Amino acid sequence: MPQLNPAPWFLILVFSWLIFLALMPPKILTHQFPHEPSTLTAHKPKANSWTWAWQ
Amino acid sequence: MTMNLFNQFLSPTFLGLPLIAIALMAPCLLYPSPAPGWQSNRWTTLQNWFIGSFIKQTLSPINTKGHSWALLLATLMVFLITLNTLGLLPYTFTPTTQLSLNMAFAVPLWLATVIMGFRNSPTHALGHLLPEGTPTPLVPILIIIESISLLIRPLALGVRLTANLTAGHLLIQLVSSAAFSLLLSQTTAASLAVGLLLLLTILEVAVAMIQAYVFVLLLSLYLQENV
Repeated sequence: MPQLNPAPWFLILVFSWLIFLALMPPKILTHQFPHEPSTLTAHKPKANSWTWAWQ
Repeated sequence: MTMNLFNQFLSPTFLGLPLIAIALMAPCLLYPSPAPGWQSNRWTTLQNWFIGSFIKQTLSPINTKGHSWALLLATLMVFLITLNTLGLLPYTFTPTTQLSLNMAFAVPLWLATVIMGFRNSPTHALGHLLPEGTPTPLVPILIIIESISLLIRPLALGVRLTANLTAGHLLIQLVSSAAFSLLLSQTTAASLAVGLLLLLTILEVAVAMIQAYVFVLLLSLYLQENV
C-alpha cells in the first residue's frame, strides 16, 4: 500500500501542520459573530398581540 | 492488479517535488476571508453560519476552560471537510487518504488533551482508567484494559478517517472501471454498474462529511473528559 511508504511521512506532517497552523486560522478568525445569542441566556421575547388599527 | 488499484493513493510528486502541498493548500484558496468594511456575500455568509453553528454545537458540552480550543476545532473541521469533499471530484488527490496526515493530526491533538488532563487534574484523569462500581478482583485487569483503550484512541482516530476514505475511493474506482469496460459488450450490466456508482458517490459525499465531523467530535469528547 503506497500510504505505508515511510518516505514522505515527515514531509506530509510538516506541510499539513504548517498550513493548518499558519494559513487556515487567519481565515477562520476574520469571521465575526456580532449578534449571536448565547445558548444559556436565550429567552423568547413576550409576544404582543397586534391588530390592524382600522379606521 | 492490486498495486494498480492502490496507485491512486501514491503521494504525487512532480520532478521530485511533493504535490501534496498544493492539494493541502486547496482549503486556504477556496475560502476568501471576509473583509471588515464590506457586507458579506453568499459564500462568506454561508461559511460564517457554518462555523458559528458548528462551534456552538461542539463547545456547548465543554466547560469554559476548554473553549480556548474553539479556533483549533473550527479550523480542523473546515480543513478536513474541504479536503474530503474535494477529493470526490474525478482525478483529484485526497490528502486525507494518507495515513501519515491523519496520524499527524490525531496523535498530537489527542496527546494534547491527555497531557492537559494530567497536568490540570492528575487524579481525575487517572480516575478515568477505572469505571465506578467495578468489583475488586476485576480492578487490575480493567485498569490495563482501560489504559489500552486510552492508548489506542489516536490510532483509531487516524486509521478510521484513512480507512473510510480509502475504501470509498477504491470502491468508486473499481465500480467505474467495471462500468467502463462493460460499456460496449454488456450495456445492461454497465448501466447497473453506473446506477451503483451514482449511489456510491452519494454515499461517499455523506461519508466524507461525516468522517470529518466524527474526527472533530471525538477530539472534543477527549477534551471534555480532560478539562
